[in-house]
Amino acid sequence: MANKRFTLTCCDGSSCLRNQARQVRQALEEELERQQLRQDVEIHLSGCVGMCSKGPILIVNPGYIMYGNLRPEDAVEIVQKHLVEGEPVSRLVISEDHLFNRFYRIFGDSEFFGRQMRIALRNCGIVDPEKLDDYLAMRGYEALARVLTEMTPQQVIEEVKKSGLRGRGGAGFPTGLKWEYTARQPESEKYVICNADEGDPGAFMDRSAIEGDPHTILEGMIIGGYAVGSHQGIIYIRAEYPLAVKRLQKAIEDARREGLLGERILGSDFSFDIRICLGAGAFVCGEETAMIHSIEGYRGMPRPRPPYPSVSGLFGKPTLINNVETWANIPVVIIEGAKWFSSIGTATSKGTKVFALAGKVHNTGLIEVPMGTTLRDIIFGIGGGIPNGKKFKAVQTGGPSGGCLPEQYLDTQIDYESLTKAGSIMGSGGMIVIDEDSCMVKMAKFFIEFTQDESCGKCTPCREGTKRMLEILTRITKGDGRPGDIEKLERLGMMIQKASLCGLGQSAPNPILSTIRNFRDEYEEHIHQKKCRAHECTALLSFIIQDNCVGCGACKRVCPVNAISGNRKEKHVISQQLCIKCGQCYLACKFNAIAKE
Amino acid sequence: MVTPMDLIKRKRAEAVNRIISKGYLAPKRVYVGMATCEIAAGSKEVMAVFQDAIAKGLTDVYLSQKGCAGRCNLEPTVEVVEEGKIPVKYGKVTPERAREIIERHLKKGEVIQEWVI
Repeated sequence: MANKRFTLTCCDGSSCLRNQARQVRQALEEELERQQLRQDVEIHLSGCVGMCSKGPILIVNPGYIMYGNLRPEDAVEIVQKHLVEGEPVSRLVISEDHLFNRFYRIFGDSEFFGRQMRIALRNCGIVDPEKLDDYLAMRGYEALARVLTEMTPQQVIEEVKKSGLRGRGGAGFPTGLKWEYTARQPESEKYVICNADEGDPGAFMDRSAIEGDPHTILEGMIIGGYAVGSHQGIIYIRAEYPLAVKRLQKAIEDARREGLLGERILGSDFSFDIRICLGAGAFVCGEETAMIHSIEGYRGMPRPRPPYPSVSGLFGKPTLINNVETWANIPVVIIEGAKWFSSIGTATSKGTKVFALAGKVHNTGLIEVPMGTTLRDIIFGIGGGIPNGKKFKAVQTGGPSGGCLPEQYLDTQIDYESLTKAGSIMGSGGMIVIDEDSCMVKMAKFFIEFTQDESCGKCTPCREGTKRMLEILTRITKGDGRPGDIEKLERLGMMIQKASLCGLGQSAPNPILSTIRNFRDEYEEHIHQKKCRAHECTALLSFIIQDNCVGCGACKRVCPVNAISGNRKEKHVISQQLCIKCGQCYLACKFNAIAKE
Repeated sequence: MVTPMDLIKRKRAEAVNRIISKGYLAPKRVYVGMATCEIAAGSKEVMAVFQDAIAKGLTDVYLSQKGCAGRCNLEPTVEVVEEGKIPVKYGKVTPERAREIIERHLKKGEVIQEWVI
């Protein structure tokens, strides 16, 4: 992949496909084959790139040259002129100055970045996050200026509604509706909050977004304040993100100095200021009502809704709460327009989604893809597949509130509804890839350990229920599982889902229920045969020395309980009665003579 | 009447001028990733090597920090951008590699293929 000379990105959106996109691609492939260039060129498909009126679209990298309105007969000319002679075919080039183009001019030629579409992260990796000048040069605060110059608050709300943008924190509530509810409240005092209390294990989308481009969050919030009639914004961010906090502080000071924040913004009648509120890192404070309590100075605990924060939130006033990524999308919605934004994605989910891709994949990283991209494209395309020739087992999305999807769901398209239908959730964007070496029971136990630890303790189903689930899972992984445990877990899980007060509790059983649904045989093996096929639950393993033992004695020396016996240069033996399954011998053996069974 | 839009356009023009006056139009621009993740991977030391080289007389280079582009397993990353050429993106840059990038790429124009992402 690294040595390909060109990458061709063909738009595979439905509108392009109607206009013979597939035939264009075939013609290109045939011509490349004929010219014997196929091995120099990487061709991949992208979801809709949002330029449907000019489809079919082809993007050639390096250089991010974009061709539009292609016909199959243009293929010969593009291959000959551009790829062979190095001269783009100017009559077919379309130039569109979209906000995200600059990212591709720098990063677009590599396999990892070429398949992505950067809207929320459009400036991350491009601008110096500590320089307001860099952001201004990238059309920063232009959306704010447009809103203040030519749009009424109602028009802004309409635009956000029409864009189809939905909350990126996980639940996917339509952003425009939330704005409308808050705007409708008659009170004069209202608040705008940015939820940057990112807490899912393995997730770092919000941190990267803030550290890479803090001004876009501020700009989004100011626009939100204007739309709903608020004058005070608060960013709730955890103190564990010191660099993000520092850059936000700098951004706020710079924006104030330039008259972009504070009294009479940009000479208009609108005033808005933002302050930072540091959280102590409790997971539950990402839940909006718990966050409000925390900002008010109380212990972070959720309360029943309704009333929703849009009616009665911070200090009892109407409050608009959106997630970091949602705010980062707002300036783009305003500049590029709702029509453009809603042309990207699927029927119910518009725009892009940022994911923190982690686990057993070649390329881990922070990615942003159009809604509608399949899990397979992300894991095997952008992620580059599973390392060390291992087999894919499952992908976990949505962190401790989400679920695990096995192989048969790989072609699921990323959008709120299809992920829920498949048995997981979109969540805030954690995506952990699991290979055959991971035990699903142990993984479920990890997540319930997390939620149990983070449960605020206010309601009984979550406080006690997750504790009992954890006990049962611990028992199973230790080899003391009993018949009926699976059913008990299912019953408990359903009860917690139904009876918990807040979203954290209601979704806490998801990792367990989804692994039971998709990997029930693994649970059964643990309980009935006392076996862990991934060899992760050490209590269920026996360490056995095989015939290729040379009798070097390395294992014997490290064994802390003297369970290994044998003469030098003869095969050693592990006493299964004495063995505490610590695994030291397994690591010490240089001849791979010790097997886990 | 000056509208907010007029004002922001003026601010943008001023910002662009300030960026240019700081040497943005230099033949080569070097960007070092400086998010928490990159710093943890050692990008502060890498940045120091470039800063040091410029202090010691390396010219025709515009140096800037940037946020995380998302290439986690290859951090720290460094981009060398030249107008009209394919931007070069280096991964897993160490202070030693940074010194070599300065000597070979920035001074002699040679792209060090083996470290390119």
